[in-house]
Amino acid sequence: MTPSVEAVGLNKRYGSFVALESLSFSLQAGEVLGVLGPNGAGKTTAIRVLTTILGPSSGRFSVAGVPHTRPLEIRRLVGVLPESAGYPARQTGEEYLRYFARLYGHSRASARGLAQELLAQVRLFDRRHSLIGGYSRGMRQRLGIARALVNDPQVVFLDEPTLGLDPAGQRQVLGLVRRITTERGATVLLSTHLLAEVEEVCSRVIILNRGRLAADGTVSEIARRAAAPRSARLRVAAEHVERARATLARSAGIERVEPANGQLGSLVAMLDAGGSPAAMNDGLRALADAEVPVLAFELEGARLSDAFLAMTEEP
Amino acid sequence: MEAAVQALPKRRTQGWAVVAEQELRDLWLGGRGLLLGLGFSVLLSIIAYLTATNQALNFLEQRESVNVTLQVAIAVGSLLALLAAADAISGERERSTLESLLLAPVSRLDLTGGKLAAALSLWLAAFVITIPYVWFLGRGVDLVGDALLVGFFVGTLLAVFLASLGIVISVFASSNRVSLSLSLFLLLAVFTPTQLPSSAQKGWAGEFLLRVNPLTAGEHYVGKIIVNGHSWSEDASWLISPIVAAPTFLALAGFVGARYIRLGRRAAE
Amino acid sequence: MSPRRAGACFAAAAAVALALVGAASAAADDVSVIVHQSRIDTRLGENIVFRAEFANHGSTATGALIAHLNVLSLRQGVEVDPEDWSTHRTRYLGTIAPGATRTITWKVHAINKGRIALYVAVLPQAGDNRPPAIGRTVQLVVAGRDTLNAGGILPLALGVPALLGLITGGMQFARRRR
Repeated sequence: MTPSVEAVGLNKRYGSFVALESLSFSLQAGEVLGVLGPNGAGKTTAIRVLTTILGPSSGRFSVAGVPHTRPLEIRRLVGVLPESAGYPARQTGEEYLRYFARLYGHSRASARGLAQELLAQVRLFDRRHSLIGGYSRGMRQRLGIARALVNDPQVVFLDEPTLGLDPAGQRQVLGLVRRITTERGATVLLSTHLLAEVEEVCSRVIILNRGRLAADGTVSEIARRAAAPRSARLRVAAEHVERARATLARSAGIERVEPANGQLGSLVAMLDAGGSPAAMNDGLRALADAEVPVLAFELEGARLSDAFLAMTEEP
Repeated sequence: MEAAVQALPKRRTQGWAVVAEQELRDLWLGGRGLLLGLGFSVLLSIIAYLTATNQALNFLEQRESVNVTLQVAIAVGSLLALLAAADAISGERERSTLESLLLAPVSRLDLTGGKLAAALSLWLAAFVITIPYVWFLGRGVDLVGDALLVGFFVGTLLAVFLASLGIVISVFASSNRVSLSLSLFLLLAVFTPTQLPSSAQKGWAGEFLLRVNPLTAGEHYVGKIIVNGHSWSEDASWLISPIVAAPTFLALAGFVGARYIRLGRRAAE
Repeated sequence: MSPRRAGACFAAAAAVALALVGAASAAADDVSVIVHQSRIDTRLGENIVFRAEFANHGSTATGALIAHLNVLSLRQGVEVDPEDWSTHRTRYLGTIAPGATRTITWKVHAINKGRIALYVAVLPQAGDNRPPAIGRTVQLVVAGRDTLNAGGILPLALGVPALLGLITGGMQFARRRR
């Protein structure tokens, strides 16, 4: 199956400065790819190259099967929300979307209908006649997402879509991102600093560092690579706490057991470094044998944030 | 995938026309163009009133009053076109709206063309506003038709030249402030030869400067037709520089716009 | 011939000469300037055509000649700039063959009302000291007319900005209401 997005050996240089080096990855249709990296890692440059704003210095890529040598065709198939995109303050939301619909080939009548439909989807219909200058940041981001969907794109690039938004705004935007994939079946490439966002919506992640690809895989694959200590949190009845501690401490693969801060009956079991989740299974069996009922249990794996920091830390 | 590309609606209107339509809406329905036109009409009203209330107005002074009105229209109209064009690309860049436009499936040439067309509308509006004043001042001396025709012809050449120059500046300027400042500076520079003493203007060097400068050459030609009653062919050699400058800079604007529109110095993170 | 008859002949010749003086003058090299008009009536702003003929009465071709149209006001205190009334007033005729006539026309704009004198002088291009030959003076009488109604400017001067202001205000109001 033709990848929805494929990059092979992409390089982008500005004189002696290397913004991207040998970036290669592929994305299948319907996937949501999270692009992570510290500031200056090359995330926005990668998006600008893939969306034909910038030309690559070398390498090749294709979007929706269209090679990079046909940029005008690629632009007709992608939707993009650039980082820190500006909006014309003296246009209304509807005028703005109508304009872009017209640029994508719609007639005046169909552009108006499409604009209203998109505004309804991003919950801006009631403010369609208001000047964009009066929109909040969250409203502008939603408007930007609506604009990115004007051409019913096959691939959507979102560069920091939740930047500067409050938690409610972030939630709204992430909800829209989910709907883009589930309702439209579009492929999404999401660049963000917020690891929680990636864990929430992305099926795959790439981590860029200084223009190079540092990691590529699913969230859990990358988290596991960090080899960070893993733990499990469990809750037992208050009267069984001591027995549970003693039983787990004797279990192989468990390094130590500590009470969880401030929560009666909650314990945190730290697994040995390099241990697997199976060690916790033995611990649970031991608790069952000791007739200690487990009221709640959660395996705390290595966080994506741990992997991120490990892969992007300064040498 | 190829079928997907073909399934998108085929644009019925040319890209530049869509851009021009939106720019015109922003300029005129947004109110900015009308405010500029209002200011211009106040200026013309003052000039026309002061001219017309001079009871000792003789034939030549009346022709000169028509000439002054038309020269003001050409100067202000092409100045407005220049400033609008100087904001065209650098303004979008500064307002962070350029990237969204570059992402649309519109060629950069179409983007340039649409913005240029909108900038020229300011000259056309200035000319239309001038018509009733020229009619009033020129009707007693059978001058209205010729004055309007020559004013429109020369003014359009100069507006095209200056607006195209504004586009070129806007593409390369690092900021909107630089673009507008440089455009104004160049406009002042091309008007400077008119301020030379008349003795300097009459020498061969002075006349060469006046002829090679499209603005002064055009102004001179209009004056000869309106004030001195020359035929259109009598001073036709003065039209060489405006006629050469307009299409040359138009082509340059198209070339520069198609190839050199960038997000910024280095569009990196 | 008796003195009386000689005197009569001389007087007759002088009379003929005087009669002709309004139509022609002899140039030093036998070129005469012939202007058929004596008075032209026109109105302010009109264009008239002034025509002069240059005839070579001699037996040889003339040297290169220059003809120049002069314009002046017959009323003291009224300034006339000839350049405003007619451009290209100086014409280079070249030579005129013996017995030939050259006709030159000038376009003259009636710039001021009043009485204006027009006359043509012709002189050798070599610039020698011989006096120019001059054609008869033509009186150009320019009648005035009211070309501008000063009071009528007010409706225009106020109306155009007012109309644009109304349109601008109306559009801003409509946008805010939406």
